[in-house]
Amino acid sequence: MLNVGVIIKLEPDFSEGNVSYNSDGTLNRAETKNILGPHSAVACNAAFYCKVKYGAQISIGTMGPPIAETALRQAQVLTNAEELNLYSDRLFAGADTLATAEVLKNGVGKMFGGGIIDIVFSGHRASDGETGQTGPQTAWKLGYTFLGNVIEFNIDSDRKVVIAKRLISLQGMDTIIEEVESPLPVFITIDPSYRSIYNTVSQRLLLNKFRKEGRKRSEDYRQFLKVYTSKNLDLDPKRVGLQGSPTIVYRVEKIPRARTNRKTEIIDPSNPNNIMPLITKIIQLARGK
Amino acid sequence: MSVSVSQEKTKNDIEKYRHIYVIIEHFEGKIIPVTLEMLGEARRLMDEFNQKYNSSEKVVAVVLGYNVRQLCNDLVTYGADSVIYADHEELKYPINDIDTKIIAQIAKDAEIMKKISPEYEKTFVKPRYMFFAADNIGRHLSSTVLAELDSGLASDINKLVISDLDIRHEHKTKGQSIRYEKVLEMYRPDFSGFLWTTILCLDNKNPEIFREYHPQGCSIIPGAFKPIEKDSSRKGTIVEYSPNIDHNLKIKILNRRVIKKTIDYETCKIVVSFGRGIKDNPEQNIKLVEEFAELIGAEIGITLPLSKKPYQISQQLDSKYMIVDRVIGTSGSNVMPSLYIAIGLSGAVQHISGMKDSEVVISINPDENSPIIDESDIFIKGRMEDVLPILIDQIKKQMSTVSIRSN
Ligand SMILES: Cc1cc2nc3c(=O)[nH]c(=O)nc-3n(C[C@H](O)[C@H](O)[C@H](O)COP(=O)(O)OP(=O)(O)OC[C@H]3O[C@@H](n4cnc5c(N)ncnc54)[C@H](O)[C@@H]3O)c2cc1C
Ligand SMILES: Nc1ncnc2c1ncn2[C@@H]1O[C@H](COP(=O)(O)O)[C@@H](O)[C@H]1O
Repeated sequence: MLNVGVIIKLEPDFSEGNVSYNSDGTLNRAETKNILGPHSAVACNAAFYCKVKYGAQISIGTMGPPIAETALRQAQVLTNAEELNLYSDRLFAGADTLATAEVLKNGVGKMFGGGIIDIVFSGHRASDGETGQTGPQTAWKLGYTFLGNVIEFNIDSDRKVVIAKRLISLQGMDTIIEEVESPLPVFITIDPSYRSIYNTVSQRLLLNKFRKEGRKRSEDYRQFLKVYTSKNLDLDPKRVGLQGSPTIVYRVEKIPRARTNRKTEIIDPSNPNNIMPLITKIIQLARGK
Repeated sequence: MSVSVSQEKTKNDIEKYRHIYVIIEHFEGKIIPVTLEMLGEARRLMDEFNQKYNSSEKVVAVVLGYNVRQLCNDLVTYGADSVIYADHEELKYPINDIDTKIIAQIAKDAEIMKKISPEYEKTFVKPRYMFFAADNIGRHLSSTVLAELDSGLASDINKLVISDLDIRHEHKTKGQSIRYEKVLEMYRPDFSGFLWTTILCLDNKNPEIFREYHPQGCSIIPGAFKPIEKDSSRKGTIVEYSPNIDHNLKIKILNRRVIKKTIDYETCKIVVSFGRGIKDNPEQNIKLVEEFAELIGAEIGITLPLSKKPYQISQQLDSKYMIVDRVIGTSGSNVMPSLYIAIGLSGAVQHISGMKDSEVVISINPDENSPIIDESDIFIKGRMEDVLPILIDQIKKQMSTVSIRSN
């Protein structure tokens, strides 16, 4: 059986109505709800695809405070996962990506009792502003082949390889879709544009069955939950959390406004006299004059 | 622990970390612009650095590929002092695993150091700083290379400063104030585009968790820096590195297909972009923008948050407009039309960077404090729901029957 792992993250919910900003435009973290991050959800969908198509069993992991359980639960709804893992320890707090990857490496190492995980998925980035570094760093520490920006994949179980399509877009260039083949195990960060496609009737039947089961399982998700600390992940405390992070946040400031050469004219649109010259100008430009 | 060993010895003898290594990206024989931008910034930083610290450290470009020798001279003319290149058929296209191993080998290679800076050969351990592009290739490559070199990395940087800083940190310095020299201050705009976070990669000087973290790495936003002017008279050392390629290649590239961008911003004269300001009535407001854009023959762009589909709108509008291909800014397209109309968007740095070269900029926004005002020639102070219908109406009247499209 194919073993699939997913690493996910609890993130602020940026969707309309849930996100709250301070008056200076910064995120109000206390007021903003936290959910399973949207990119993590896409990674979950990819794992679920493996379950429907190849009969995989799924293990989900997250490093975070106890509240991150809620993300695991949401992930179970999406994946019908057999196993949920919370890596939670005060020592992990304040980790940068390298120190996070250190924990996730050992976490993935413990999935399904410690065998090889054939495919591990991570999200493209954490919501909006994060780095996208955690996935590839975890992959490197695990020694798994890394594939980024994957938009489609198929597994050849006999040959134990994955064939994947990746998106490459570089500054000023047309986008490239690259098709690659790699032996298992692999670590895949899934592109935001990934969509699972279920072609056959039997797949759709399975999909519905697993969806139902997933919802059911999630009602009693604690039964599937394992909680790990740095000790039972065999981690060196010097390599995790703030202590194990090469980087620190030194300063946060407002970005000064850019100096520009434009002389801004402010227009009050309620007065038609203000609008007319503008209209003429737009029409001229539209006509290429 | 080198620091305490020999205060009387000149610092130059004991420093283990040297130079800025810039990881070059190229595609089918062409250098990707961000590469030259990184070289330009590295040049500026190194010139100041060498003057300030009275040293002779270098900008070192690292190129992997196939038939890349001819790129090396160009890299020198754009600011590199040395170019290290690895040329091999298997390196024709970037493959993360292979490239990571080779770059990490190069970064630790004393033989190469002998060729580019013989004076540092004996003490050299690793690069001092390392720059990558914050794009599909560089983002992942920077992550894996720095994981292999066991050091720290900041992503999506748009400003860099090298300075000496007094740091007091619970873990790094065990609460003491310690002077760190030659620290790379890496500025990263946050998700809102209005806050700047400065990230530092610092050695742990706390004896209980002592560990050195070099190189100090970062990935750089395309478009953030300016290349230096090409100077064909510049001289540099070009060194070939013969990589140890694992012939048991794990990953095979089966096929590469170029897909043309679905939206062509290059040839259009007017771009109309909208942002989260549509929020009060997304469906209606997008339709307004659509009508307005059609009327004046404009292409439509969006801000990044909209590509994440934060609103419930009809499938038709959603799949047409809320797509990554329409994002204007560092995560999407750069545009420079004759007219850019910014509707309901605030003007975050990442967005501005993609439209600032437009000839004329008009914005529609009720909030005079939105930074887009600084980048606007005309700022129409008002809600899009109120302003757009007036514009549409007036333009229709003035244009009478002749459509602009056919013009
Ligand atoms: C690594 C990274 C890369 C990024 N890349 C990009 C990028 O390429 N492109 C990009 O755009 N962003 C990018 N961002 C996001 C960027 O930082 C901002 O979050 C984003 O641009 C803000 O989008 P916005 O202007 O639509 O929303 P907001 O900042 O929320 O602005 C909404 C604006 O609408 C106005 N408004 C409100 N009501 C109305 C109304 N009724 N009528 C008219 N106006 C109204 C408000 O006054 C406000 O100015 C990136 C972020 C990160 C971290
Ligand atoms: N604490 C965490 N626990 C589990 N997975 C994580 C964690 N942080 C990041 N990830 C994964 O890495 C991806 C990229 O995150 P980031 O590097 O923070 O942008 C996320 O979408 C997750 O899949």
